[in-house]
Amino acid sequence: MEENIKNEGQSSEIEKSSGDDSGKDNAGSGQVSKETQTGDRLKKIFHISLLILIPILAIFFFLTFILYFVPVLQELKSGPGTEISSNPELKKDAGYNKQIGALVKDIQRLSRKYNTYSTGQSYIVINTTENRFYLYKNKKLIREGSCSTGSYKKLLTAEGRSWTFKTPRGKFTIQGKRTNPAWHKPDWAFIEEGVPVPPKDSPLRWEAGVLGDYAMDLGDSYMIHGTIYKRFLGMPVTHGCVRLNDEDLEVVFNTLNIGSKVYIY
Amino acid sequence: MIMETEMTDKQPRKRLGLKILVILIISFLVYYSVMSFLSPGKTLDRISNEFAIKQEGKTKIDEKILTDSTFLIKFKEKTFLQSRIALAESDSIYLTINLADSTANLEIYGVAVHSAKIKDLKMSNILKKGNDYVISSLLSSPFTISSSIATIKKDPVMIKMAPKDTSEYKPDIMPDTSVTEPVNVKLVMTDGTRIYIYQEENDKSADRMNLFRFDLKDRLLESWSSMKSVAVFKIPEYHLFIKIKIPRADVKIIYRALPKNGQIGVFR
Repeated sequence: MEENIKNEGQSSEIEKSSGDDSGKDNAGSGQVSKETQTGDRLKKIFHISLLILIPILAIFFFLTFILYFVPVLQELKSGPGTEISSNPELKKDAGYNKQIGALVKDIQRLSRKYNTYSTGQSYIVINTTENRFYLYKNKKLIREGSCSTGSYKKLLTAEGRSWTFKTPRGKFTIQGKRTNPAWHKPDWAFIEEGVPVPPKDSPLRWEAGVLGDYAMDLGDSYMIHGTIYKRFLGMPVTHGCVRLNDEDLEVVFNTLNIGSKVYIY
Repeated sequence: MIMETEMTDKQPRKRLGLKILVILIISFLVYYSVMSFLSPGKTLDRISNEFAIKQEGKTKIDEKILTDSTFLIKFKEKTFLQSRIALAESDSIYLTINLADSTANLEIYGVAVHSAKIKDLKMSNILKKGNDYVISSLLSSPFTISSSIATIKKDPVMIKMAPKDTSEYKPDIMPDTSVTEPVNVKLVMTDGTRIYIYQEENDKSADRMNLFRFDLKDRLLESWSSMKSVAVFKIPEYHLFIKIKIPRADVKIIYRALPKNGQIGVFR
């Protein structure tokens, strides 16, 4: 009995110890399953990343190919070029000399025609983007400086009237010259300040001293004149006229005549 | 078990579908490339048919003359003058791009009013390496602008409402002239030729980014138009192009000064 009890005791110990071992085994298998789980997760993340990345790369490749590679491919073709030669025998040929003679005559005729466009008279060039002027005499630049041109403001009234204050571009001629000019104010000059517009013949329309010492008319009420707002020179602030400072205005006035060309760009 | 067999059935199907898609995309790219590669040839044929010398009538020209250096120099000079006269007579403000001396000039009725130095130049190989006589003939008449795209406004108009009375009146503030926005311009000619004028300044990242965006947008537009042609089995239109880089201020001046349907003469 005692032996039996001992044996039982041993077996229970063995059971206990075996029970401990199985507990350790369970913990080990838990760790392995955790590792496999994280491995699976990583695999999944990698798989998803690939699924996202591959279409992005494919689109990128597709666009790069079409937008950048194909235009390069197109440029491979240039057609048959010219192998320029200078054959002395050809130069003795009567037909050749006739052709060259005709070309030289054409060039002379066209050159003469082209030269008639560039005037030998004094003229002024006005750059409205940079608000600069260039005065030429006998095709030589004699003076340059700042000016003010149109502001590109569009004045709108509640009644639907509108004016855009820009300097017109192109070729103009000086149509008239005036000293000590007075300004005949148009409607927008009153509307812009919120003042009631007087009748056309009203003396309120005349304002002296604001146009400087000289004014040169370009037509359609556009002028080259002086200014009292000298700090605005070099800026786009006018209602379409070209403003110069007093010194520049005097030189321009004395250089240009009625009929002189004004090139505005 | 049934689930597993379904899964295993779906996977090869997916793979097959993917394979077909890849084959289709590659086939399209090859087809698109071949069609695009053929397009300059079509343009070249059109230009050659239009401008190559025609041996008609009694005065037949020895074709050797067309490769002679003296003849070509004189012929280019003549076409240069022809184009300039056509420009001076037909339009008020126009642009002349002189590739020989690398200048872009604004002219008004034959008078050069503004000149800009071209810092960088790229153009179609057809224009660069094509037959001298044909290309000079092509350039003997000016191009006319049909449309334009730019990163700045052509007319920077600002709206101002008129005050109701003197109490509402506010005097104008001094305009900010220090703003230097990037300026890149694309001019599309009536015959399809494209003239790109880019600003030379490229130091700031904002300038580079602006140019990249402008270029990408243009490439997308051009490619989309080519794809539409290719989709109906037509060879896409190839457009001759000239790309120049000049100082920012000059791009702005030229773009603002040119009329909407202005003219451009190119000399080489």
